[in-house]
Amino acid sequence: MDLSKLKQALQILPDGAKETMVARVFVTELMVLLGFDATETVPEFSTGNGSDAVDFAFRKNTDDEFIKTQSNPYLLLEAKGKDVNLSENSAQYKKTVSQLKRYLLGSNCQSAQWGIITNSENIQVFRKHGRVIHPATKLLEITIDNIDEIILEIKKKIDNPHEALTVAVYNNKGGVGKTTTTVNLAATLASLGKRILIIDFDPNQQDLTNSLGISPNENTLYSWLVNKNEPRPDKLISTRKFRINSRFAIKPGNVSQFDIIASDNKLLSFGEDKLLQLIDNRRLSQALESFRNQYDYIFIDSPPNWRFFSKSAVYASDVVLIPAEHDNISSLRNAVTVVKNFIPEINKLRKDGSPVALPIFFNGGSITPSQKLSAQRAIDEIISKSKKDKINPMDLEPYFYPKFTRSRKDKSIFEIPSYAHIASAAFSHKPAVCSNRKALNHYEALAKEYFLQ
Amino acid sequence: MSLSNIGNLMYLYMDEIDPGEGTDAPEFLIKASVKILLEADGRNWVPVIVREVGTDQYEVIGNEFIYAIAEEAGIERIWCIIADSNEKTIELTRILTGQVTPKVDLSIASRDEIQAAFQYLIEKPGSFLKGVNLATATNHIDSAHRKNWATLDPITKLKCGITRGKKLDALKEVFYVTPSALKPEADESISAPDLKSLTVKQLRDMAKQQGLSRYSKKKKQELIEMLMDTK
Repeated sequence: MDLSKLKQALQILPDGAKETMVARVFVTELMVLLGFDATETVPEFSTGNGSDAVDFAFRKNTDDEFIKTQSNPYLLLEAKGKDVNLSENSAQYKKTVSQLKRYLLGSNCQSAQWGIITNSENIQVFRKHGRVIHPATKLLEITIDNIDEIILEIKKKIDNPHEALTVAVYNNKGGVGKTTTTVNLAATLASLGKRILIIDFDPNQQDLTNSLGISPNENTLYSWLVNKNEPRPDKLISTRKFRINSRFAIKPGNVSQFDIIASDNKLLSFGEDKLLQLIDNRRLSQALESFRNQYDYIFIDSPPNWRFFSKSAVYASDVVLIPAEHDNISSLRNAVTVVKNFIPEINKLRKDGSPVALPIFFNGGSITPSQKLSAQRAIDEIISKSKKDKINPMDLEPYFYPKFTRSRKDKSIFEIPSYAHIASAAFSHKPAVCSNRKALNHYEALAKEYFLQ
Repeated sequence: MSLSNIGNLMYLYMDEIDPGEGTDAPEFLIKASVKILLEADGRNWVPVIVREVGTDQYEVIGNEFIYAIAEEAGIERIWCIIADSNEKTIELTRILTGQVTPKVDLSIASRDEIQAAFQYLIEKPGSFLKGVNLATATNHIDSAHRKNWATLDPITKLKCGITRGKKLDALKEVFYVTPSALKPEADESISAPDLKSLTVKQLRDMAKQQGLSRYSKKKKQELIEMLMDTK
């Protein structure tokens, strides 16, 4: 790859170069190196969201020429001038990221899988999967010396996209409905035609395995993780198929079919210390690598606490889904700990800016207006305390109130009300969404609000 | 310089302005506001929106509330912005001043639009839709074949707790429908089941639009067959 032109571009760009100059001199060369030529580029691409237009959209030409049809973009790029400070935590960086996210979610950009922001001094790549947008690289600082590596890293990602979104369902607090969420969300997405794998990664409780009427395995998940160089155990994956009540199925004869990696008793018999001598927190992620192009979603049901199993689950995931309860203040505080401490700990190890937490949602309980108000007060206090935190200040608003902006004080939080039948579905060894219409409606709403575009 | 006043902020005489539709704001809000307006030397920093109906003659099209306050205060002149007389402008003004609720076309609305509209209706004080489940209503309506609905009535058959009467009427505040079969540009994607949902009159209109003849005496099924044959 010949980077001389790009390096030259970096050298000649004056300090404080404006956006148009950065776009013309730097972005053009950058995208040629990433494999997009002039007919594969559309400047000022209209995203379909109001009057929004992103600086550039790209897609490799297939049967048509992208510049002519201007449909189904693959990558969006928002350029800024050198006069815009894109360093971490600057106000302009945050603004640019939310601008890019908004563009990626535009109705003309459903096919887009990547978004890039750059001002020629910094660059960051984001990945989009349905409605979920998460970082694919950290915010990188560009220099003449590291530009080669940066280009290689980005090219590797955008040329080999994963099909799966890996989701850890986790809250440090127990009993908030992690397993119920995993099973029902997975079954709902499966009924909509998505390919799903769920992993019961809580060998102490084995709730997920039990709730689907599967008996835990012996020495499958364990040997898959520990014996790296041996072939995958036969019985590792089992497939479950549930008929959805035909009276309310989305399509007639609809079934919900998904794959499960059941819990393994052998993992339980080993203590954590012993396990850590054989494998580390990164092993699950590595083992999952071969599945990331076979499924649309991989859900990992994790145990409460912050030890080997949950660390591995979070490390392996792209995003973390955190169920909480509106009348359980410690479930909210623990959600904050996950966002503020645990995820950043993993981010440091992973070096690609992921995983990120999705906004929390309330699981169970029917919320009266006054309860809602008191939950809101508790959250407001948590948010303002975290902003003023001297050691580790953090803006938690997006994790609690995703729709909140300075001009729109929208404090709504997604909720799944509790129904006796959702919890009791475990006795019938069937996800509640397959036999209960209300449950299906609520989980479908969750799937569409958080995951599907 | 243009002779038109459109877009200008002008200090108009009250007696040259027709109050338009007026406001139904409670007396308290008007009287209490009068006091505060007079304390600020009677200057209304938020202008009334008017359109020109003749020489030195205007009609209020937005912010009637402010006009009513000025009238109650006995002020001689009031600050106004002159808008054009386009019907669209009048509608937009009334939406932007918060006097009218904007509507969405349910035949083509996205899931997010449907959900937001229902949330608005359900959470409104005194709503007739209090018992309607947001997730259920959104899902059922979103997945229905809405594009040829001629009225909102099919919603009552979707099992989402909305019945004819007050509940259905409440929906008319935010939704309207324009069946796409009646839109001339959209006829390429119509299938037989879509046509079945139309009335005979609508089918005849379609046949007429497509330049077909001898449609006026045909029965519904024959009309559908005729329309399908032309594809």
